[in-house]
Amino acid sequence: MFESLPHMANLQLRWLLTSASRGAQAIWDWYRELGRENDTEARGLRLLREWLSPAQLAQYDAHRYFDVIGCHSGKRYRIRHGTATNIHELDDAGDPTAGWCFVPRDYLVAGDVMLAQKIALETNERGALTVARNFAPRWSAL
Amino acid sequence: MATQIVMDHNGDTRHNFDANDAKALLKAEERFKMLTGLGFTAAVRTASGAPTVRHTFDPSAEETLFFPRLVGG
Repeated sequence: MFESLPHMANLQLRWLLTSASRGAQAIWDWYRELGRENDTEARGLRLLREWLSPAQLAQYDAHRYFDVIGCHSGKRYRIRHGTATNIHELDDAGDPTAGWCFVPRDYLVAGDVMLAQKIALETNERGALTVARNFAPRWSAL
Repeated sequence: MATQIVMDHNGDTRHNFDANDAKALLKAEERFKMLTGLGFTAAVRTASGAPTVRHTFDPSAEETLFFPRLVGG
């Protein structure tokens, strides 16, 4: 019985090392994935910044939103940083009158989503609003 | 060097090509047709920076951006 003790200890040590190794690998994979996601988010924001007008870029940098003018109605829309329910139609006083939600069909990061929304409203407002879901804005001052 | 930028889950994928190379241009046109056929919108920027949508391949476009079909959120 005592002769088997070192053997048992050896087995337990091996099990412990294997578990620790798997845990470390899982943490490393998670960390790498987190870094990759951050890279993806950054790439999306970089693309957005390249396509915003100077005024929109200044607005986005200051407030994390930017305004676009609908190509058909001339209405002003505010696109906030986000990937859903982030568009508000504004009246002349700058108060929200309606909320609009439309997004690219595929999963995209926030920068890409906001850029697609901007281009859609500036080039095909009616088409964008046709597919959009309408929602009531929850606050009166943006 | 011209570029086609395709939005995807990695942020975007960029395809650079020489617009003076007939073979590369043909490949870019095929990519344009394939993506728009899948429902992607193709947009370019005018000289003033304003976006405009392209329904046919523009061989002179320096940068074309493709984003997936829009749906209600």
